[in-house]
Amino acid sequence: MSDRELEDKPGFWAKKISELEKRRGHAAEMGGPDNIARQHNNGRLTIRERIAGLTDVESFREVGTLAGTGKYDENLKLISVTPATYVAGSARINGRPVAIGGEDFTVRGGTSFGAQRRKGGQGGYIEDLAHHYKMPLVNLIDGAGGSVTSAKRRGFVVFPGVDGFERSVELLGEVPVVSAVLGTAAGGPAGRAILSHFSIMVQGSSQIFAAGPPVVKRSLSQTITKEDLGGPAVAVNKGGSIHNAAETEEEAFEQIKKFLSFMPQNVWEMPPVLPVDDPVERCEEALLNIVPEKRTQSYDMKKLVGMVIDSDSGFEIRPTFGKAAITMLARLGGRPVGIVANNPKVYGGAMDADAARKQIHFMELCDTFHIPLVFFVDVPGFMVGLKAELDGTLREGMRAVYMAGQLKVPTLTLVIRKCYGMAGMATCNKSDIDLKIAWPSGEWGSLPVEGGVAAAFRREIQAADDPKAKEKELEAGLRAYSSPFRTAEALAVEEIIDPRETRPILCEYIALAESRLKIGLGPRAKAGVAP
Amino acid sequence: MATTEVLSEVIGSVWRVEKSQGDSVAEGEVIMILESMKMEIPVEAPVTGTLSEIKVAPEGSVDEDQVLCLIES
Repeated sequence: MSDRELEDKPGFWAKKISELEKRRGHAAEMGGPDNIARQHNNGRLTIRERIAGLTDVESFREVGTLAGTGKYDENLKLISVTPATYVAGSARINGRPVAIGGEDFTVRGGTSFGAQRRKGGQGGYIEDLAHHYKMPLVNLIDGAGGSVTSAKRRGFVVFPGVDGFERSVELLGEVPVVSAVLGTAAGGPAGRAILSHFSIMVQGSSQIFAAGPPVVKRSLSQTITKEDLGGPAVAVNKGGSIHNAAETEEEAFEQIKKFLSFMPQNVWEMPPVLPVDDPVERCEEALLNIVPEKRTQSYDMKKLVGMVIDSDSGFEIRPTFGKAAITMLARLGGRPVGIVANNPKVYGGAMDADAARKQIHFMELCDTFHIPLVFFVDVPGFMVGLKAELDGTLREGMRAVYMAGQLKVPTLTLVIRKCYGMAGMATCNKSDIDLKIAWPSGEWGSLPVEGGVAAAFRREIQAADDPKAKEKELEAGLRAYSSPFRTAEALAVEEIIDPRETRPILCEYIALAESRLKIGLGPRAKAGVAP
Repeated sequence: MATTEVLSEVIGSVWRVEKSQGDSVAEGEVIMILESMKMEIPVEAPVTGTLSEIKVAPEGSVDEDQVLCLIES
């Protein structure tokens, strides 16, 4: 029979649909019940459970469902299909479209899948989807990337970059990119996780590194577990490779949803404004006495910020890394803002290299997605000491100053207490209106009076009968000039406010910034050479 | 019973120790005050329990992540 005659037979298309259903069934089975049970026993969800857990009910529209390796009998009749090691598609999160995909660890451990077109990872279909439809990308990472065995299948070894990061890099200037490391990530998937605006991993069940323990053993003769090498204690708290940690995968999904709730769909759109129950005119009485009168005593900056922003709107990025700085997405009058605050509880808020790196990333994030910045300033300067110098604090700190100078997004500077030196300069945007609002507790200068006096009046102090008393006397004399009101007289600080008025004032300026934001939409201009 | 190590978050010195070995402490209560970058840095109990050991003394210097005391809870 010819094809023509075959097609005319009743039931022909029904058979094709039945094959489609069969193939879809194989895709849904993933790596089979044994591998799925193993994944669950390791405390991990399957990729399909992950997508369902993160996205709105039945919103996932899969692409590449049928990709895989078919097994046929001698008559070329289909027996089964082992699905590709990546599941991808579009979905909605809180009603907003995203491109979402991730490795299927139950199929060959999520190793890269060779097909005509890649589904996921760098250069995969999922990145094209986010790029062409200008929507956020969510990477659910659970795989170790390529396998040396692929060289045997291919017949040659590939040059690095054949599945390059060009698109991944491009996306960082276009749409929000989120990566969740949900298993052990090494190689390409590990690199893919880093090329994101927000990354997260799960305590106990995920690790990330350039290469795992066997390679470390072979290269350096060091024996180390994968948790000690790339668990959150290393990758999040110390190395800062990954931004946040979550206790469970479900908590990771909640953090991803929260992060995306502040983000526009892309750099050409405004960040989403939400209705707000918290009155913008709310004046918090407790702000009046939150800063201790004694200058050497610290206070809880997170609590302070929490009293100003829309209630419960704060989402801290990197809470356990570079803790001298606090970086937080939040809302003021329903509008997204980025908050950079110094933490007086950690080295008096002095900027160390990690805090500078954290602040730089966050400023770039907010600048890229047109989210206004508010600095809550209490910074005595750059961190000092041998460790700080070994860490390159001066360079990292000046990079923060450089990046602050590149900001295009509206920026407000609120001085809570100290604002000294070059670290203080990293809290202002001189190319903006440069509005500096201070509390009466504000104090500033090139450097703090203490220490500064000892250096500037060394001879005079040494020559005195009582050097300690002389130093104190000189300090007291200079301190008389350091009243914030005297600076306000000279309009060197634009306004001093009652701390209780902070919320209404900030909400007002953030509302005023809207017109400015709207005319500045689009990709962020590339800066010159950062120091 | 679990033992919690209370670590120093800063390089600096011990200014004042507010509690003694054997004292019970509530979560958030100040155990000692360190001094660093000309600031007083209170060390608060991360958990409620009994101070089983204090490993530092006033004027002693401390390093980042150094164990300051132990709490049994």
